Amino acid sequence: MDKPSHLSVILDLSPTQWALCAQSTNPPGISLQAFLSQLLAFFNAHIACKDENTLAVFGALPGQSVLLYSSTGEVVAKDTEPTDPNTYRPFKTLDATVMNSLAEHIASFDGVSEEAPIGLVGCLTKALCYINRVTSNSSTPSSEGEGSAASVDPRILVLSVSPDQSSTYIPIMNSIFSAQKLRVTIDVCKIYGAENVFLQQAAHLTGGAYVQVEKPDALLQYMMMSFLPPPALRQLISVPTQDRVDFRAACFCHKRIVEIGFVCSVCLSIFCQPVPVCSTCRTKFPIKTLQRLNASRPLAISASTPGTPARPPAQRNGTATPATPRPG
Amino acid sequence: MPSIVCSAQASYKKLPGLLELTESHLQWTKAGDKVPSVKVAHSEAASLSRSKVGAAQVRLKVGLVNDETGHNFTFTSPQAVALAEREKFEAELTNIIARNRANAPVTPQLPSGPTIAVPTPSPATPSTPRPLPHGGTPARPTPHLSRAPPSRAASVASDSRTSGTPVSDPTSDFRLRKKVLLSNPELAQLHRELVMGGHISENEFWEGREHLLLAQAAAESQKKGKPGQLVDPRPQTVDGEIKIVITPQLVHDIFEEFPIVAKAYNDNVPGKLSEEQFWSRYFQSKLFNSHRASIRSSAAQHVVKDDPIFDEYLEKEDDDIEPRRLREERVDTFIDLAATSVDHEETGNEKDVTMQAGKQKAVLPLIRKFNEHSTRLLDTALGGPAVKRRRTESGDERLAQLDLEDLHDNQTSTGILLDMQDRQRYFDGRAVVTGDGAAAGPKVDFREALQQVKSSTQDWSARLAQLKIDKKAGDAALVSMTQNVASRLDVKMRKHDLPEGLFRQMTTCQTAANEFLRQFWLAIYPPPSEAQMLTVATPAQKAAKAAKMIAYLGKTHEKVEALVRTAPQEGVDPARIKVAMKPVLDAVDKALEYWRLKNANTKGPR
Repeated sequence: MDKPSHLSVILDLSPTQWALCAQSTNPPGISLQAFLSQLLAFFNAHIACKDENTLAVFGALPGQSVLLYSSTGEVVAKDTEPTDPNTYRPFKTLDATVMNSLAEHIASFDGVSEEAPIGLVGCLTKALCYINRVTSNSSTPSSEGEGSAASVDPRILVLSVSPDQSSTYIPIMNSIFSAQKLRVTIDVCKIYGAENVFLQQAAHLTGGAYVQVEKPDALLQYMMMSFLPPPALRQLISVPTQDRVDFRAACFCHKRIVEIGFVCSVCLSIFCQPVPVCSTCRTKFPIKTLQRLNASRPLAISASTPGTPARPPAQRNGTATPATPRPG
Repeated sequence: MPSIVCSAQASYKKLPGLLELTESHLQWTKAGDKVPSVKVAHSEAASLSRSKVGAAQVRLKVGLVNDETGHNFTFTSPQAVALAEREKFEAELTNIIARNRANAPVTPQLPSGPTIAVPTPSPATPSTPRPLPHGGTPARPTPHLSRAPPSRAASVASDSRTSGTPVSDPTSDFRLRKKVLLSNPELAQLHRELVMGGHISENEFWEGREHLLLAQAAAESQKKGKPGQLVDPRPQTVDGEIKIVITPQLVHDIFEEFPIVAKAYNDNVPGKLSEEQFWSRYFQSKLFNSHRASIRSSAAQHVVKDDPIFDEYLEKEDDDIEPRRLREERVDTFIDLAATSVDHEETGNEKDVTMQAGKQKAVLPLIRKFNEHSTRLLDTALGGPAVKRRRTESGDERLAQLDLEDLHDNQTSTGILLDMQDRQRYFDGRAVVTGDGAAAGPKVDFREALQQVKSSTQDWSARLAQLKIDKKAGDAALVSMTQNVASRLDVKMRKHDLPEGLFRQMTTCQTAANEFLRQFWLAIYPPPSEAQMLTVATPAQKAAKAAKMIAYLGKTHEKVEALVRTAPQEGVDPARIKVAMKPVLDAVDKALEYWRLKNANTKGPR
C-alpha cells in the first residue's frame, strides 16, 4: 500500500450537544476536552502513517462551516508554545494550528444567545471541494512523477454528536452523490446521540464505515481501528461497520422522514402526501391519480401523528388534497 | 370397434400377435389376448422405416411424435404375404404421417378428405370430398377432423378465440393458466401450496398476475404462416414399381403451386379422363417432369412419356436469359442495383466475369421456380399480391425517402428543462428547523455550553501529553469491534448447511407468507392503473380479502415458532432459524400493525 492518503475530518462542534454529551451517563458521554485530546492523537497517527499523507480539518459550528486546518494551507504557528522535547515538531504545529483556529472561531460566537443548527452540509461540500481541488491539482504538475490523481486515496470522516436535521436531507443526498462521483469514501463516527439516518446512508452509499461509539472513553481505540486504514487497505483489513442501514428519505414538503412517499414522475421529488402540483417542477397531476393515491393511504394521519384522533379514510377522499405548505 | 383398414400377423418384442390398423389407431394384440397391448393413435405416428426388400425378416418400425424409438413389428407370415402386408401398412401409414406433418402447420381451412394410397399413380379425391368411383375408404370427413392431433386442434381453436379479448372465457383462461404454470415451476410450486392447499382461491392467486396470462395469450395468438417447402411429390420405388402417394393436401398443394395442373384437371376430369387416369398420366408426363423441384431426375427419366393431353399444357423451358415471367412490380429506384450501373462507367468496377446470369442453363428454370415460389409465399403472407405502389415522381417524395431520421442531429432538442420553483429554499435548509431532535432531552443554555467549549480549547497541550486510554473501555471497544467484523466474516464463510427438509419447510413458510402479504397489500392498495385490472373487486370484497389474509398472516408467527422448535431435532441452532425468518416476521408484523391501526381508525369517532 504505497498510496498516500488524504483525510478530511469534519468535526461536529455543536456546543449544546457537547454539553449534553459531557453530562450524559447512560449512555456514557465524553467531554469535549477528552475528545479533543484523543482526536489530536488520531490526527498525529494519520500523519505519521506515511510521509505524503495529508489532512484537512473542518469544523461544523452553529450556522457556520470553517476550515480549521489543512496540510496545504498556511501554518498558524504562533510559537508561543514552548518547544516540547517529547513531541515531533510537525505534530506540534498541526495540533497547535487546529486548536488555535478553533479557539478563534469559538470566540466569534460571543454575544450569541441562540444556537443555530450546525453547518454540517457546508462542511461536507467544502470537504468535497477541497478534495476535488487536491486531486485535480496533483495530477497537473508532471514533475511530481507518481503523484497522479488516482494515487491519492481521499476520504472524509464525520465525527457527529448532533441528531439528523431533516431539512438537510436534499443537500446531504446531493453531497453523497458528488462523493460517489469523486470516489470519496465517507466514514461516520457517531460519538453521542441516536442513530443518524442520513449519515448512515452516506457511509453505506460511499462504501465507508458507520461506527456507533459505545464506550466513548476509548474513542481513540475506535478511531484507530476503524478509520486509520485507508479505503484501499480495507479489502485486507476489515473495519467494523453497520449491517443495518435505514434507507428512509425525508419528504420535500415538510422535511419529514417518511416510509411511504409519493414521488413526482418528472423530477423525482418526494412528498409525504399526494399533491396536485409538484412544488419543485410545477408538473400538474391528473385529479384521478390524486384520488387513487389518496385512497391508498388510509393510515396517513394516524401514522404521522398518532396522538390526534384520526378521521375516517372515507372522509379524507372527499376533501381536496391539502395544499403543500411552501417553506422558506 | 372401429373398422379395420388392414391387418396382418406380426410379432412385437418377439411375441406373436396381430397388427391392425383401424380408423383411428395402429394397434397390436398379443396372440390369445383380446385387448391390444400396443395402441398408437394416428396422430402420434411421426416416422416410418422398414427393413430392406431382400432382408430375411420383414420389419416395420413406427416412430412416434414424442418417442423416436417407437415400435418395431416383424411380419410373421410367409415372405411373399408378409411383404404384401407390409406394403399395405406402409402405404396407409405413410399417408397418415404425411397428414400429421401437413397438419403441423396451421391449415385449418383445408377440408381434409379421406386419403387413399394405391400402387402406382392413382386417383385421389380432390379437395371437394366425394365418393370414390372405386374401392378404398369412403369419404368420411368428420372422423378425420377428430383425428387431427389434439394439441394442434386445441391451439388452432384458441387462435380464433384468443384473438379478441384473450382472458374472457373461463375455459381458455384455465388453459392459459395451466400453460403458465407448466412453464414456470416455481409459480407452480406456489400454486400447489396455496391454491391446492385451499388457502386462497384460484382467482385470488391470479389477481395481480394477469400480465403472465396476457403474455401467454399473446404468444399463442401469433399466427403461423404457410410452410415454405416446395411441393415435391417423392416417388417411392418398390419392386421396380414407382408409386406416388396422393393425399388431398398434396393435390391442393399441386394445384396451388402449378396452376396449369389445376387448369388441366378442370379441362379433362371427368370428361376425357378419369381421376385415376389423370394423375397417373400426369406423373408420367413431361409436364410433371418440368415441375420437379430438383434436377436429379434419373429415376423418373425413363418413365417420362409423350402424352398428347398433358403435352398441350407444357410450357417452354424457362431457361432464357430473360425469365419468362417478368416481375410486374417496378423495383424501387433506391434499391435497384441496375439503376446506377451506367453511372460510373469510366471509373466504376469491372464487370464480374465469373458470375453470369444463365451460364448454366439447366439450373435456370429451377432458380426461377424457387424465386416464383418465394414470391408466392411472400404474397400469401402479406395477404395477396403486393400492392403496386405507384409513386408520384415528384422530387419531394424522393427527398423525403432519402431523409433518414438517423442522419438528423438531435442536438436541437434540448429536453425538458427542470424548472425549479423557489430555488432558494433548497439551499438554505436551516430555514425550517423541525423540533424533533432538539426537543428531546434536557435543555442546555447555549451561552453556558459555549463557555464549556471555550474552556475545552485552552490548555490542550498539557492534556494531550497526559492522554491515557482507560484500559477496560479500550478492551471492551476492541472486543465489540472484533465481534462486528467476525460476525460478518462468519456469514461470508459459512456454507449452506441446513438439512434439506427443514430448509424446504422454511422456504415454503417464507413463500407462503410472501404470497399472503402480496394479496393483503393488493387488497389494501388501489390497482396500479385502472385499465389493467380485469376484475375490479368492490371495496367490500377487498376488505373481506384483506381480513382473510390477515388471518393467515396472524398464523405466521406460530408457523415460525414451530420451525424453531423442530430445529434442535434436526441439529440446527434455533437462533439461526430465527435470524433467517426475521425479515418475514418483520414484514408480517408491519401488515398486522397496519391492519390494527386501520380498524381502530374506522371504528374511531366520526
